[in-house]
Amino acid sequence: MLKIHFFQVTVSVVFLSSIYFHLAKRNIRISMVYGLQSAGVVALLFYSYLQKGSPLILVVVLATLAVKVIIAPTFFIRLINRHKFKFAVDPHVKMALGLAIIGLISGLVTLHIFSPLTTIIPANQTYLTLALASMLISVFLIANHKDALSQIVGILSLENSIVVFAIFAGLDQSSILDLGILFDIFVWLFVAIAFISMMYRHIGSIDVTRMKRLKD
Amino acid sequence: MLASIVSPSGLIILFSIFGIGGIGTTLLRGNNRAQNLWAHIFSITGALWGLIFAASALISNREFYVNGLATSFPFLSLSFHIDKLSSLFIIIICLSVLFCSIYGIGYVKSFYGRYNVGNYGFFYNLFIAAMLAVVTSSNGILFLFAWEIMSLASYFLVVYERHDHKNVKAGYLYLIMTHAATALITLAFILLFNHAHSFDFNTIRASVPSMSMALKNIVFLLAFVGFGTKAGIIPFHIWLPAAHPAAPSHVSALMSGVMIKTGIYMMIRLFLGILLPIPLWWGLTLIIVGSISCVLGVLYALTEHDIKRLLAYHSIENIGIILLGLGGAMVFYSLHLPTLMLLSLAAALFHTWNHATFKSLLFLAAGSVALATGTKNIEKYGGLIKSMPQTAILFLIGAMAISALPPFNGFYSEWLTFQSLIHGVLSGDILVKWVFLGGLVSLALAGGLALACFVKAFGSTFLARPRSVMAKGAKEVSIWMRSGMAGLAVLCLVLGVASAYIIKSLESLGREITASPRAGLITSVSSRQTLQIGHNFGSISAPFITVVAVATPLLVWFVSRYFINRHQKITSSPTWDCGTDITPRMEITSTGFARSLTMIFQPLLRSNLSYDTAPAGSLAPTSIVATVGIVDIYKKYIYGRMYSLINILSIYFKKIQNGNINAYILYILLALIIALAMGI
Amino acid sequence: MHILAWALQILFVPLLAPLGVGIINKIKAKVQRRQGAGLLQPYRDIRKLLHKDEVISEDASFIFNIAPYIVFGITLIVGASVPLFTSVIHLPSSDLITVVLLLATGTFFLALAGMDTGSSFGGFGSSREMTLSALVEGLFIASILVLVILHRTTNLYLIAGSVHLDYADLIAVALAGVSFFIVLLAETNRFPFDNVDTHLELTMIHEAMLLEYSGKKLALMEWASANKLIIFAAMLVNLYFPVGLASNLQFGTIALAITIFIAKLLVVYVAIAVLESVIAKLRFFRLPGLLFTAFILCLIAIGLVK
Repeated sequence: MLKIHFFQVTVSVVFLSSIYFHLAKRNIRISMVYGLQSAGVVALLFYSYLQKGSPLILVVVLATLAVKVIIAPTFFIRLINRHKFKFAVDPHVKMALGLAIIGLISGLVTLHIFSPLTTIIPANQTYLTLALASMLISVFLIANHKDALSQIVGILSLENSIVVFAIFAGLDQSSILDLGILFDIFVWLFVAIAFISMMYRHIGSIDVTRMKRLKD
Repeated sequence: MLASIVSPSGLIILFSIFGIGGIGTTLLRGNNRAQNLWAHIFSITGALWGLIFAASALISNREFYVNGLATSFPFLSLSFHIDKLSSLFIIIICLSVLFCSIYGIGYVKSFYGRYNVGNYGFFYNLFIAAMLAVVTSSNGILFLFAWEIMSLASYFLVVYERHDHKNVKAGYLYLIMTHAATALITLAFILLFNHAHSFDFNTIRASVPSMSMALKNIVFLLAFVGFGTKAGIIPFHIWLPAAHPAAPSHVSALMSGVMIKTGIYMMIRLFLGILLPIPLWWGLTLIIVGSISCVLGVLYALTEHDIKRLLAYHSIENIGIILLGLGGAMVFYSLHLPTLMLLSLAAALFHTWNHATFKSLLFLAAGSVALATGTKNIEKYGGLIKSMPQTAILFLIGAMAISALPPFNGFYSEWLTFQSLIHGVLSGDILVKWVFLGGLVSLALAGGLALACFVKAFGSTFLARPRSVMAKGAKEVSIWMRSGMAGLAVLCLVLGVASAYIIKSLESLGREITASPRAGLITSVSSRQTLQIGHNFGSISAPFITVVAVATPLLVWFVSRYFINRHQKITSSPTWDCGTDITPRMEITSTGFARSLTMIFQPLLRSNLSYDTAPAGSLAPTSIVATVGIVDIYKKYIYGRMYSLINILSIYFKKIQNGNINAYILYILLALIIALAMGI
Repeated sequence: MHILAWALQILFVPLLAPLGVGIINKIKAKVQRRQGAGLLQPYRDIRKLLHKDEVISEDASFIFNIAPYIVFGITLIVGASVPLFTSVIHLPSSDLITVVLLLATGTFFLALAGMDTGSSFGGFGSSREMTLSALVEGLFIASILVLVILHRTTNLYLIAGSVHLDYADLIAVALAGVSFFIVLLAETNRFPFDNVDTHLELTMIHEAMLLEYSGKKLALMEWASANKLIIFAAMLVNLYFPVGLASNLQFGTIALAITIFIAKLLVVYVAIAVLESVIAKLRFFRLPGLLFTAFILCLIAIGLVK
């Protein structure tokens, strides 16, 4: 029973955070909620460690904890304070319509069409559905928001959702998941940091629509 | 000992030598001479090792596979297969590379200070290594990978002398055409993969009996157009006359002599190896296309006055001749005449080897002349035989070889092609007979026209008086360049004299390629190296011809010099020319030389002659400018129209690219949802 | 007898060629109601030239010097390789393609020699010669191809040695023979292709290339040209009308064969002489039309064979 509650809480945290990114207006809050989302993922991974006891998973848990929960949000907050972009830039599709689309996506995922994906392990169907929904919502986040921070957070949130999906789809049995997460941590964060700092340096803001002049 | 050479380690050593050569040159920054020597010494060593390797493979009759990284993923297995065909092509490639690299040591000196020699060395070695990988790979993905690297490396070599913007444009055209070809080839391989569920050649071959005829035909068309573009058959040839002259001379030699043969190699592998049994019309198509390429290639060559473009068009002609042999082999296969198939295949392979040799020689000699005078325009040459006598003799040998004159190697392979075509006329029904007849007539016509073209090329370049200041100031090129050329010239002679033995070996090689081990051999070689075809159908004796061709003129000279009028006085004076004043403008130009032929073939060539008089319309103009030009009908009617169509479509589709990242991500999201929905 | 036959085979062409040219000139002279020079005049001309001094152009290179020897040597080789009076002895070089390409080598060096001195006439001569040669080479191969298909061999001696001919094939052979006659006229620079007697350089083809030669080299070139004429005539009569060739090397057979051969050659020479007296030389750009007509005849002949 406790287990089920635990799962419900962590997956809801992941799902709701991905929606919150759409709605938030202050960047600092976005970073902190990202930290929260990553904490949820860490909790799930820690649970999986307790289940299996493999030291590799423990390493992964600690790494994720360090990088995604602590370092990344701190870095974002420092970046925000240094360059002073406290407020999020307006998205393309405004609040109400955005929420409608999010609702649409969530409904879409529960449809019959996607059932082969969500019934990989029938017992976990709800969680898989939620993870899939949060994946698509994160991608929508990237599509909708103009500022680079939201884009990066969107990608990172997509990753978290994928990890959650993988855990519930039974992929944590082999070590592929752990290796994947480790690889992902190292590479993605470097890329993210480079992207934001360089973009700001060159263009003067993190509004990605300003990059339009790079178009052919 | 042979066994240890012919082993996977031998192959790895081969690639490593070129790898070290390539990467090493880029590290030796700043020291041009070291880069030059490093790159070329490694390529020479690699070529020698390749020769040893391939020769050992042929002698010891070993065929082996090198399988690395075999995973369950069909995409990730590397496998090389060394069989007789690969060994033959390795020999062909390495012989040309050997002499071109020796030449290169001298040629690259002209790049010092202007371009980065390290880049050249890197791409040069990469190019050679990729070509070797292409002819030894046994897996579709590995093949495509090596093919692509070969095309890219050669692209960078083509645009290497980038200060001349014509070279850059030529490279661009080359890149587009070769990628279009690669796309078609990739499509062909994907279709095969779909059927056989593997990219491995052996697995594909095993699954061919269950392939439908329609699928085979589509694969044939895709492969023929794709590999044919690389080989340079008409009408897919437009990149060849632009790209080959733009590259450095010895790279042009390699591209023209060896790279285009990789297309032929894969055609042989596919059409006579993997996709058997094949229908009749495939071979007939090849013969027809070969005939057209043959004749048109040499006609366009006649109209050229840029010496390298002229040689590039001759490559197209010779590819046509090779296709005649290959098509003949395919037709004979479909008609269940394995003996004749081996004959035709031997002709095609021998001509491939010979063309690689004499075409490289010609390009190297043309490169020497271009370097010494600073221009590629034949009209500005003249009289170079006095200032560059050795280059002239080497060019003469190359010209005699390509015009199929005895005693050099071109004569023997063309003789063999004629024999196989005549056999084709004698066998088969009306359609086959007339197609072969067409091929025969085209070959004869092309031979005659090639002879005319090389009289023009050699005569305008080397004979008579210099027609420009640049030609007057020419000096003989460095010893490296002359040695490279000399090596190839000697090879031309050797291949000619040893032709009987080589032809016989090529025939038995054909048995293995086409998996017909019990096919009879139609040729027989007597103890005195007389090659005989069938029972007295035709015979040729290379040693006899060589000896007689050299000895008889010598004998005549000897007799006339020492037995007749020994006290003859020989004086030197200006050319008589019926007593007119002699200036360089009195001699015939190359355009003038070819004018008669151009006029005769006017309907095919669409040459136009226009006059500009100044002042216009007046009765007594002060100047008249006549311009003779050739309308490039391929560019105008085929490619020009294709280009406009693609341009219009692109502009229309460009609207979805609005520069906004968000829009792109939106496309990804939609595509993801659709893909998930459909895939499940 | 064997050795004598071989010696005859090798020496026949160079020894009798000038006589053939003399015969043609005599007949033409008679038709023009002149006495004309004697039959042996070409021999005297060659002897005269061989003993003269030479003047060589400053612009000439070694090509100019070696070309006469190569051209003459080639005619010797080919002369020994084609069937003359017997079909029993033959050289390894008596293959159709070999003969064609050996002759092409001769043309190659001749044309180069024409260009070597940088004279206008030599250049034009070479250009026209190569134009015609390019077109004629194809016709040459095509016209003998009929015989190759018929006898299933490319060995000239074997073609000449076979005796049986179907009546139906006779027409094909005749058509091909006409076509080969046109090839003969083109390759040996006779009417309507070229006029050996012209003194207008602009109408010369062969003579233009020889304009700068003198002395021994000119002698060899002229002799080589006469050799070519007899070679082609021999090919015409022995391949298309292979009657009277000696099938063994007895003295009597050989003597008879030589007589028949000379008689056949005379027919060809008289025909050439009469032709030269009767028709005019064609304008240069009308010649490809003539060659094309001959080519069509060949195609018809090939179509008729089996």
